[in-house]
Amino acid sequence: MSITESTARRYELQDPDVRLMLSVRDDNAAAFDELMVRYQDRLITVLDHLTGRRDLAEDLAQDVFLRVYRARKRYVPGAKFSTWLFTIANHVASNALRSRSRRPELNLDSRASGPMGANPLDQMALAASGMMPARQIDKAELREMVRSALANLNERQRMAVLLNKFEDMSYADIATTMELSQEAVKSLLMRARVNLREVLEPYLTEGSVPTDIKG
Amino acid sequence: MIRDETLQEELTAYLDGELESEHRCRVEERLARDPEFRVELQRMQRAWDLLDGLPRSTVDHSFTRTTIEMVTLAAVAEARTQSLEIPRRRRRQAILAALAIAGAALSGFAIGVTLWPNKNRQLLQDLPVIENFELYRHAESIDFLRKLEASKLLDTHGDDQEASDGS
Repeated sequence: MSITESTARRYELQDPDVRLMLSVRDDNAAAFDELMVRYQDRLITVLDHLTGRRDLAEDLAQDVFLRVYRARKRYVPGAKFSTWLFTIANHVASNALRSRSRRPELNLDSRASGPMGANPLDQMALAASGMMPARQIDKAELREMVRSALANLNERQRMAVLLNKFEDMSYADIATTMELSQEAVKSLLMRARVNLREVLEPYLTEGSVPTDIKG
Repeated sequence: MIRDETLQEELTAYLDGELESEHRCRVEERLARDPEFRVELQRMQRAWDLLDGLPRSTVDHSFTRTTIEMVTLAAVAEARTQSLEIPRRRRRQAILAALAIAGAALSGFAIGVTLWPNKNRQLLQDLPVIENFELYRHAESIDFLRKLEASKLLDTHGDDQEASDGS
């Protein structure tokens, strides 16, 4: 779809990062550095939680920045800069996850053997069944549990959640980033919330996890 | 737990601040009168709030440096490709220009042949008249010449034929 001149002008006026990207288009290296500094942590946070691997997240983030640079001459602002950047990130991550699923080498959630030992979700399911005694959960365990609950979502639900939670994106921006309709985004986020709630229910109701977990 | 997906979607959109005012009012009315709906909302929100505890990543300088290096290498490669492209592009442009000129010349010749008559052909056609021009000058008019032709008095071809038949 072509971007009208008025749309491009509107985003240029509204979004300082769009203006920076337009400077990158004019081969301003300092503008590119500035954009990188502004977005690298945000991008890696999303990619890290999406892929479950920090090293992969960094590789993908570098790929995204490289693509941004290579696409600079064709850049016409048709959305907020962050939306454009995360659209590229979504493509890059989807391709990487797809090719990784063809040659499985690691569990998506590589942190499954974190401080909680085996996969916390399995243990939580066991706890929910009442087969294990409970004890108070600590912060690190809780974080691990939430991370596992997030990893348990499918890739699209996870991406929608991350964009909504970490990037504070509206449904419209998530729809643009993921190339979906707003209705589809609404449905994805609903399912994600329901899944998260179901997985985290034992903690939500009891505030505890089984004592055997920590070992 | 509420299993109705439409209601769950409404609750999700309500929590995300994505409902139109009319829908929002409807959800709030139901929240006010339906305790089960309220519990559902609270549980959903609590699970969602747990995501706030997830760590945010920060990168060190080496990541920034290596990324800048990668981009610099890409820029150098791009510049080299462009500089190699210039003579190639110029050569391509020269060939295209020559082809265009040759094409235009051919088209012009074809149009010329079609539009303008061939003078030599015309001369060849008029050769008998030119050869006997002095004789034709003595004729009074074109009509006279046409009648002369019709009478076949001057038909030398016919005489030659008779002569050859007689022999």
